Amino acid sequence: MERSGLIIAACAAGGVGMWLMLPRRRAWGRWLGFAAALAGLVLFGAQLPRVAGLAEQGILYAFGAVTVVSCVAAVTARNPVYSAIWFGASLVGTAGLFLVSGAQFLAVATVVVYAGAILVTFLFVLMLAQPQGRAYYDRLSWEALLSAATGAVLVGIVLGAFAGDVADLAAAVPEQPPAAGAEPEKSVLAPEHVARLGGVLFGRHLVSVEVVGFLLLAALVGAVAVVQQGSDSSRRAAEARGPQPAPAPLDGTEN
Amino acid sequence: MESELSLLYNYLTVGTLVFGVGMVGFLARRNLIVMFLSAEMMLQGVSIDLVGWSRYHDNWDGQILVLFMIAVAACEAAIALALVLMLYHHAGNLDVAFWQGTREENLPAYVDQEIPEVSQPAPAWPELTPAGIEPAANIEELTHREHV
Repeated sequence: MERSGLIIAACAAGGVGMWLMLPRRRAWGRWLGFAAALAGLVLFGAQLPRVAGLAEQGILYAFGAVTVVSCVAAVTARNPVYSAIWFGASLVGTAGLFLVSGAQFLAVATVVVYAGAILVTFLFVLMLAQPQGRAYYDRLSWEALLSAATGAVLVGIVLGAFAGDVADLAAAVPEQPPAAGAEPEKSVLAPEHVARLGGVLFGRHLVSVEVVGFLLLAALVGAVAVVQQGSDSSRRAAEARGPQPAPAPLDGTEN
Repeated sequence: MESELSLLYNYLTVGTLVFGVGMVGFLARRNLIVMFLSAEMMLQGVSIDLVGWSRYHDNWDGQILVLFMIAVAACEAAIALALVLMLYHHAGNLDVAFWQGTREENLPAYVDQEIPEVSQPAPAWPELTPAGIEPAANIEELTHREHV
């Protein structure tokens, strides 16, 4: 089947690209890895079936490409601050994808909660812990080849399964003749989006909402407890460790 | 193929790719914060899938689940970042290899065999133009000879 061949080729190219782009000792392979990963992305795009409208297809490709490319850049960036910022870019792409498929509230929530709160917390901790930027462990990876191969195999298997499922669904659903009433109305795409979402959220899922609220409170208390207990024990650990010599700088700019 | 079905397949592809990339990052990177970022990325991939299914089945539950995932991710971020901060205070850096003492007993210790290349050029400091009154030359300093 043509699609499975494309998926295998795309996974191979993407895996090689990820391997070459992950932080390693040598710096030479990065552009090669970028080219391979880009080829993999194009192959992944080539096996996608077409959506009805050309404009919708273009928007979908654009948001998908932004999401995936930003994710790859976030994972392969040497500087963790850049990682966080690329992750923010991928969140914007994800929000676009949500918006296109009729999840407007989730798109806004992703940008506000994820990019606005969680990502800022990341940057905050990053600035507290590692203000000087790149360290040696950001320029090394565990088993880059094995990790990239694992990811490629996983993506290949999952996409192959999805492709089979979708082919089955397409075979099961007969092609509907274009009825006079045009497309049946989808409740997800209704104009009163937030009202319907809120109706479902506070109707069927009311107990879950309460549970999540309690979970947020528990997480708040837990975070405070972790920090308080940890600061006592880390002070003891630091005293037991004694005064430490300053680490030797790796190059002229650090420390 | 039907249009809604191909839309679903597009979303599943993007979600799977984001999940896979996040997993590679979690396995390969050594910075605690970047590892955690990759875990969040995997959650993001799953939520793209869920929104795609929600659209296909015309069912709100997928979107509701994504909403709960965002809330749980916020809890997770609060607790995990507090933990990371504590680990940083213990270890003095964010390297996850520092904590390899918690590995299984039958596994060998990981030793860094490669030293990363330093690719950063030396910083170029700006040159300041001299300004103000020139101080009087110090005669002693100018005439000082070290090895006489």
